[in-house]
Amino acid sequence: MSEKKPFVITLESDHEPIHTDPSDTILESLEKHQIEVHYHCREGFCGACRSKLICGEIDYTTDPLAYIDDDEFLPCCSVALGDIKIKLV
Amino acid sequence: MKYTTFNQTPTNPLLEPMFFGNPVNVARYDQQKHSIFEKLIEKQISFFWRPEEVDVSKDRVDFQSLSESEKHIFISNLKYQTLLDSVQGRSPNIAFLPIISLPELETWTETWSFFETIHSRSYTHILRNLFTEPSAIFDDIVVNEQIKQRAGDISKYYDDLIFYTQLWQTQGEGVHTVDGIAHTVNMRELKKKLYLCMNSVNALEAIRFYVSFACTFAFAERELMEGNSKIIRLIARDENLHLTSTQHILNLWQKGKDDPEMAEIAEELKDEAKAIFMQAVEQEKQWAGYLFAQGSMIGLNEEILCQYVEYIANHRMSAIGMGQPFDVTSNPLPWMNNYLNSDNVQVAPQESEISSYLVGQIDAEVSASDFDDFDL
Ligand code: FES
Ligand SMILES: [Fe+2]
Ligand SMILES: [Fe+2]
Repeated sequence: MSEKKPFVITLESDHEPIHTDPSDTILESLEKHQIEVHYHCREGFCGACRSKLICGEIDYTTDPLAYIDDDEFLPCCSVALGDIKIKLV
Repeated sequence: MKYTTFNQTPTNPLLEPMFFGNPVNVARYDQQKHSIFEKLIEKQISFFWRPEEVDVSKDRVDFQSLSESEKHIFISNLKYQTLLDSVQGRSPNIAFLPIISLPELETWTETWSFFETIHSRSYTHILRNLFTEPSAIFDDIVVNEQIKQRAGDISKYYDDLIFYTQLWQTQGEGVHTVDGIAHTVNMRELKKKLYLCMNSVNALEAIRFYVSFACTFAFAERELMEGNSKIIRLIARDENLHLTSTQHILNLWQKGKDDPEMAEIAEELKDEAKAIFMQAVEQEKQWAGYLFAQGSMIGLNEEILCQYVEYIANHRMSAIGMGQPFDVTSNPLPWMNNYLNSDNVQVAPQESEISSYLVGQIDAEVSASDFDDFDL
């Protein structure tokens, strides 16, 4: 469905960068590449997936209720708006 | 300051702190100082469920087939959860409502506590199904040494805050002697007690249920006690929301986004707050030891359960600026995530085992001939 070009997610770990379908949530993209991310609700209210957004822009698919710090985001309810660099907590 | 149920002095709730400002007067939700609590109310209400909607009758047969040590694990966990929800069904109301100053936080607290009473009611639903006479289980909660030890730690911060609030609201600031003991009551002391209490509640919502959840879901992995597991999944979803609320409160204080004095207190009591969390972690690990003292259960042992508690604690502690004190980096029980995922939780109306919908189904079965006398 997406003519949009895939974005690149870089992890602040040894893992090689992954390509993401812009229609997948960032959590789904990571899972498709067998990267273990902690999650519970997958709906933005529990905070289990809380991660650091080092650079790049994301957009939320649902209003995140879980507490996140200024430099953090919730992969379960967000999509990348371009290439991003993240660090899993 | 005396508590009043309707403060007749006009106040601006957008300028009040969360706690220890003016008492709330109008319950209005058109505007919020902290909109997160309004959103949490709506989310929690959207989760509404009733224990009776979940059919637990098959669990009775499963329970008979469990080994003695597995029965001990199952029942002990239910007792501990009953204790936790007995406390949570009343304490946020009694401790926090008299000192809350924001309408959205007041209603969040009432909504939160109300859901804890649903949790309590579900334990009765589960136990009634397993035992013709569940009294002995409930009676043991007050005398069981292991449970009592935890009850003491959980209720003491609440009780302390409640007592000092009562002194303050009836006698004001000063030194008040009750039963021969002098108590210094001033705003700083009250706020410190509130801060420690909120940390203790946060630790409770964050980790105190998780040993028990893990056991429940380990039974469910073996297709045992699945009615119970369905209820626990609904409870876990609610607990996640409660935890989010206490994390928001603690962070609003710490980051100076509410009462500036609470930011100072957060800094001053940093070590004490962390010690409360670490003590809860320790008690959970001891609980795992108690559960498995009479023998293990398939799929779980004390060691892996303790690692799971540490793993969860790392996540929960870093959310409130306490760092990650434990050395576990990957999830020792990855299958737990599937049970804590809200997609899997919805009580599906079409599921035949949900008794309340079966009642509706009788009325819904209408044949074409029922409309024969129908003229348009
Ligand atoms: S999994 Fe719950 S907030 Fe992302
Ligand atoms: Fe509860
Ligand atoms: Fe709770």
